[in-house]
Amino acid sequence: MSYTELSVWTRGIIMDKEGRDIVNSISASARKEGKFAQAMENYVDNPDRTNCPTRKYCRVSDTVLENELTYENDHPNIVVLVEGTMVKGWDYMRGMPPGGTLVINTHYTPEYMVRFVPGADRLAQLVCVDAAKLADHKWLYYRLGQLGLDRLSTEGAAERGKAIAPDIAAPLIAAVVKTTGIVKMSTIQPMIANQKAFEMALNELHVLPLKPVAA
Amino acid sequence: MSTKGTRIPEWLTVPFAGITPAPTQEKGQDLFPTGNWRSIRPVYRDKLPPCNNACGTNEKIQGYLDLVKRGKYLDAYALIKEDMPFPSVTGRVCYHPCETACNRGQYDEAISIRAVERFLGDLGQALQRDVVKPGKPNGKKVAVVGSGPAGHSAAYQLARLGYKVTILEKSPKAGGLNRGGIPDWVLPQNILDREIERLIELGIAIKTNTEVGKDVSWDSLKKDYDAVVLAVGLTDPNSVRAEGENKDGVIYGLPFLRDIGMGTSKVKLGARVAVIGGGNTAIDCAREALRQGAVEVTMITVEGNPKEMPCVPEDLHDMLEEGVELIHGRAMTAVLGNGKVEALQLYPAKFSGAINASPITINKDVAAEKFAVDNVIIAVGQRASLNWLPQEFKNERGTIKVDRFGRLGDTNFFAAGDIVQLGSGQPLMVVNAVGDGKRVAFNLDKALRGEALEPRKIAIDVIVDLNRMNMTYFPHFPRVQQSMLNPTSRKKTQDEVILAFTEEQAVEEAGRCFSCGTCNACDNCYLVCPEPCIARSDRSNGLYKILVDYCKGCRVCIEECPTGCLEGVPELDFDAGVVRMDTAFAITPGLHGRQAQELATLASRPAKEI
Repeated sequence: MSYTELSVWTRGIIMDKEGRDIVNSISASARKEGKFAQAMENYVDNPDRTNCPTRKYCRVSDTVLENELTYENDHPNIVVLVEGTMVKGWDYMRGMPPGGTLVINTHYTPEYMVRFVPGADRLAQLVCVDAAKLADHKWLYYRLGQLGLDRLSTEGAAERGKAIAPDIAAPLIAAVVKTTGIVKMSTIQPMIANQKAFEMALNELHVLPLKPVAA
Repeated sequence: MSTKGTRIPEWLTVPFAGITPAPTQEKGQDLFPTGNWRSIRPVYRDKLPPCNNACGTNEKIQGYLDLVKRGKYLDAYALIKEDMPFPSVTGRVCYHPCETACNRGQYDEAISIRAVERFLGDLGQALQRDVVKPGKPNGKKVAVVGSGPAGHSAAYQLARLGYKVTILEKSPKAGGLNRGGIPDWVLPQNILDREIERLIELGIAIKTNTEVGKDVSWDSLKKDYDAVVLAVGLTDPNSVRAEGENKDGVIYGLPFLRDIGMGTSKVKLGARVAVIGGGNTAIDCAREALRQGAVEVTMITVEGNPKEMPCVPEDLHDMLEEGVELIHGRAMTAVLGNGKVEALQLYPAKFSGAINASPITINKDVAAEKFAVDNVIIAVGQRASLNWLPQEFKNERGTIKVDRFGRLGDTNFFAAGDIVQLGSGQPLMVVNAVGDGKRVAFNLDKALRGEALEPRKIAIDVIVDLNRMNMTYFPHFPRVQQSMLNPTSRKKTQDEVILAFTEEQAVEEAGRCFSCGTCNACDNCYLVCPEPCIARSDRSNGLYKILVDYCKGCRVCIEECPTGCLEGVPELDFDAGVVRMDTAFAITPGLHGRQAQELATLASRPAKEI
């Protein structure tokens, strides 16, 4: 019996869609494989404000998921940070059991990033992927420093298409699936819109293996 | 906004549900620590304004302009005196490289920095006691040879460091080039006298009529003093190597001005005077010639047009206003006349290279022109006179050989000013000599204390691109012009040609400064921050603080900063100072977490309890 929790931390409005794509595609793939899965967004983080922290959750299980009423993951096995700076801001490692995985979208190396991770001793691996660069997300990547000025956005304004993972979500999904095996690569890959970035990410991950200590 | 499901700190709970303080209320921000929304952090990082960089002595120009703008004249004067011993002199004579570099020149007109400096200098002259005091005596004696700009500056800085300084000056009056190379109608003698008095007030002894190599020997300098600064300047005029240059009525530019300045001049000029040369000294000579009784003054230059002349354009303009004629593209090859100058022989000529110092090519294929004159003043540069200097310290340019710290070998002799800078690519001007004197004084101090010496500082991040500032805040505004005497009346007198700013004019002109790249406490960031998360204890550069717990990195302050001193730095570049915050929004298990725990135990609980 296996049960896996995945929490995605992302930024309100500007990266909302990216976070949602990650949890939706992974749970959909799991269901295709005959597993039980849930995907939901968090409503208490005030997600209609630019840059504010927002979370998306996903649960994948071999058996029926009985918990249908709460949506916060108390014990995430996998945490994804869609924007690198979030590594400093919160205790996203809260409740992670030993042997977890942290995936960060950043151009820094895992060796540099590990200093910011609270409770890194619970991690089995720290994965860094420069998703913004791999997805050639010009609008986002080159304006990363100016995003705060994007005052015209309303919720969902960043969703410019209905395709799943057209942008930086693709490399992040590749990173999660390749390093954790939460679903099969063959199930999820056909869903992804940005195949090029997905495939590039499979080869350009920076993985720092760590030795988890029992909490 | 609902706070349902949030963990409210105990001290913030209120007796009635649902009401929490707004972020604007006391402690209200603590509920919403939004600092972790940030991906970039605004940082105050002052850059070097182009004027400070261009100034030979790196005066903190935007600093004193800002103080003048706020009416703090004495503070401004004290600030300028850190780098410049005589703002009243440079406020009149400086070729203002700062104004040439001024960013405002790209926008409308450069700031009249020199006029504001003169305003401050005159203010300082009127003070009963100067703001500068001598340093605590350290018992060491230093001789400064020469009392020109470099010597004056070195002596001033050394006295401030606590040295017992003696200035050795070969002329009967101290002042060097300031007195001997600059006419009265630019720099009145009483202004310079007052600045020399200021040196004496600092405890500096000035020995006039004392020439090194004649009255004092190299060895006695070595024996009597702990260290020596050689700031002897360029005293001998260059010749043009023309035939008959020794005839009566041929005068050299610098001695001509020097004798008038020292009051020992015996020259009587005829009605027609020619000036050879196109530099600033030549211009001063031409204008001085008018004041010495010449009627027709003609300037003969090798340069093909006025733009190529190595001079300050304003001075050239003022000279032409006074009625001096210009002849371009000619070289004087001979002085004709029977024992006395009667005419000059001129040939078409041009510089063989791109720069003015390159050799001249004379075209002798055409017939020579004859130009009738009564006197000719030759002002084509100066050279050093260093017969007293040991051969090992001379270089191929005929100047003193120093290392990059201004030191002669490993001796305690230092050299500064034109005597070092000639031919080094550095333009020769008063302010460069002052800067050199200052740096050498500091290095001399370091050498005597056994510390490592410092070469000239490398400019770091000079702002020259207006796009790095927010020009929205700077309306176009014309430069405040200095009044001048009427050209027809001024050319017969020794009265100062350019008039001083009034207080109102100085404040108005200082108010035009952009303060490029340097915080001038305009309070804009403080006002525009929407959080607000910029705090300050006082309105002053360096006292603005970003409250990183709340700053969301929205960049509004960075975009709105008029001077460009705020920068957005990627948050991850700060590897220290991690602030991990509990936001109000359900970072803790909160209600949902508690619900989940209850649900998990539901099955094992008896039905009655539920």
